[in-house]
Amino acid sequence: MSIEVTGLNKKFGDFVALDDVNVTIPTGQLTALLGPSGGGKSTLLRIIAGLEKADTGSVTIEGVEATHLPAQKRNVGFVFQHYAVFKHMTVAKNVAFGLEIRKRPKDEIEHRVQELLKLVHLSQFAHRLPSQLSGGQRQRMALARALAVEPSVLLLDEPFGALDAKVRKELRDWLRRLHDDVHVTTVFVTHDQEEALEVADEIVVINEGRVEQVGTPDQLYDEPANDFVMSFLGEVTHLGGVSLRPHDIELEASPQLAGSVEGTVSRMVRIGFEVRLTVLTVDGDEVSVVVTRAHARAHGIEEGSTVWLTPAAGATVVPRMAAAV
Amino acid sequence: MIWFSALVLIPLAAVVVTAIDGGWDVFWTTITNGQTAAAIKLTVFTAAGVTAVNVVMGPLIAWVLVRDRFWGKSVLEVLIDIPFALPTIVAGLVLLSLYGTDSPIGIDIANQRPAVFLAFLFVTLPFVVRMVQPVLEELELDVEEAAASLGASRFTTFRRIILPSLTPAITAGAALSFARGVSEYGSLVLLSGNLPFKTEVTSVRILSSIENDNVAGAAAVATVLLAISLAVIVVLDLIQRRVAARG
Repeated sequence: MSIEVTGLNKKFGDFVALDDVNVTIPTGQLTALLGPSGGGKSTLLRIIAGLEKADTGSVTIEGVEATHLPAQKRNVGFVFQHYAVFKHMTVAKNVAFGLEIRKRPKDEIEHRVQELLKLVHLSQFAHRLPSQLSGGQRQRMALARALAVEPSVLLLDEPFGALDAKVRKELRDWLRRLHDDVHVTTVFVTHDQEEALEVADEIVVINEGRVEQVGTPDQLYDEPANDFVMSFLGEVTHLGGVSLRPHDIELEASPQLAGSVEGTVSRMVRIGFEVRLTVLTVDGDEVSVVVTRAHARAHGIEEGSTVWLTPAAGATVVPRMAAAV
Repeated sequence: MIWFSALVLIPLAAVVVTAIDGGWDVFWTTITNGQTAAAIKLTVFTAAGVTAVNVVMGPLIAWVLVRDRFWGKSVLEVLIDIPFALPTIVAGLVLLSLYGTDSPIGIDIANQRPAVFLAFLFVTLPFVVRMVQPVLEELELDVEEAAASLGASRFTTFRRIILPSLTPAITAGAALSFARGVSEYGSLVLLSGNLPFKTEVTSVRILSSIENDNVAGAAAVATVLLAISLAVIVVLDLIQRRVAARG
């Protein structure tokens, strides 16, 4: 196992950033640390990189006990949200920095820099300054710089957070393809569940300093461990004491299924092929339901109609927490 | 451009013109006069020495002010600016009472060369500090962290990442500090005693020329100072370019 984190605790003053975190990150995979802002995921990443010191607990990287190693000795590549470019150096010099520190021969450095710039599609910008690049290009340069030293793990802290939506999406796809080529163990932090679901092999959901669940995107979506994971990964509504996805509710115009709950449609919005309904049940719940346009039309549903709701067979259902989101 | 000319170029040209008006002979005899040459030498070397001290101490003080948290920091922030705010003759008075013949701390450097050095040091202290400080504040921590994660030691990070970013500010501060040193009058006039060949600086020399109705002589000295200041600014700019390019 590539990165092993055991019993990690970290406090900033009174604020508990990490609360007894245990995670194992597998070799060669692309893992996402997913969670809301301030949940501790960036702190965890920074502790793995050695940029932050844990109060207690240990970190092992590729079998090497790294808890007390300084960042310089951990051989990790780190990519920052705001690129952290060396402004006064050209793109090529930026990428070469780690190799020059390691006193590699000049021609080897030159060769490797060219190779990396080609990999991140920046060959023609080698002699530009970072200030002459766009945000996306700067981040690709930062990635090449981190990869140059052949790190045992690559850590990315909200790497696409400062980019606009379109570039973000492109870079996301590109990172996935790059990882398929390079195969370095990669961990990236994100608060965007779509990004995590789309890119990662494995997702670690972190909230309030604790690991809520670890699993593949499908596992997390289909078998969320609790209400938090479920609501963080997609839309959630509550029906009769359970949490479930709005599209996992069966809606009928008459009570046909056992255990169905009666309610009145209070709001109806049509978006393209789907129809979003808000139903007030006789139990006092306000339930969101998503059905297809065809289904709504077939059952003659409109605002004010009386309907019966049942959790669909095979639906992902989680008992509702007291502090439901 | 007109504004700039009126403020800077015309007075500078006037000085040079006055010096030329006096004729080449006056110019040459003035600046080769032993007393004047000694004054120019003292002023330039002391100003250069003080600037060298400031180039080292200025960034250090700025670093402490930006990166460290300690009790009394805001007081120190204000103290740094006192040489800016204080009329220089008051500074001279303070220095005289502290390092003069009746020094309460037992250091008597009145009428000696260290007095000139000390006075220059006092008035030029804020320049490099205040030039470097905002640049240091703007410097992003993650850049240093990036260097560290790439394997750079603290020293290498400072030399290859931080220093090149600070160089323009240090150079600008050094130029200001040198120019201020060369032109200083008020703060040293009391403590140094203005002894010819020993502690007399050029500004004092220019004043005495004027008092003796030797305007051409004063202008000649001023022109030499002008040329030296210009040369220093050019040299500093070259150094800055070199360091910035080396990164």
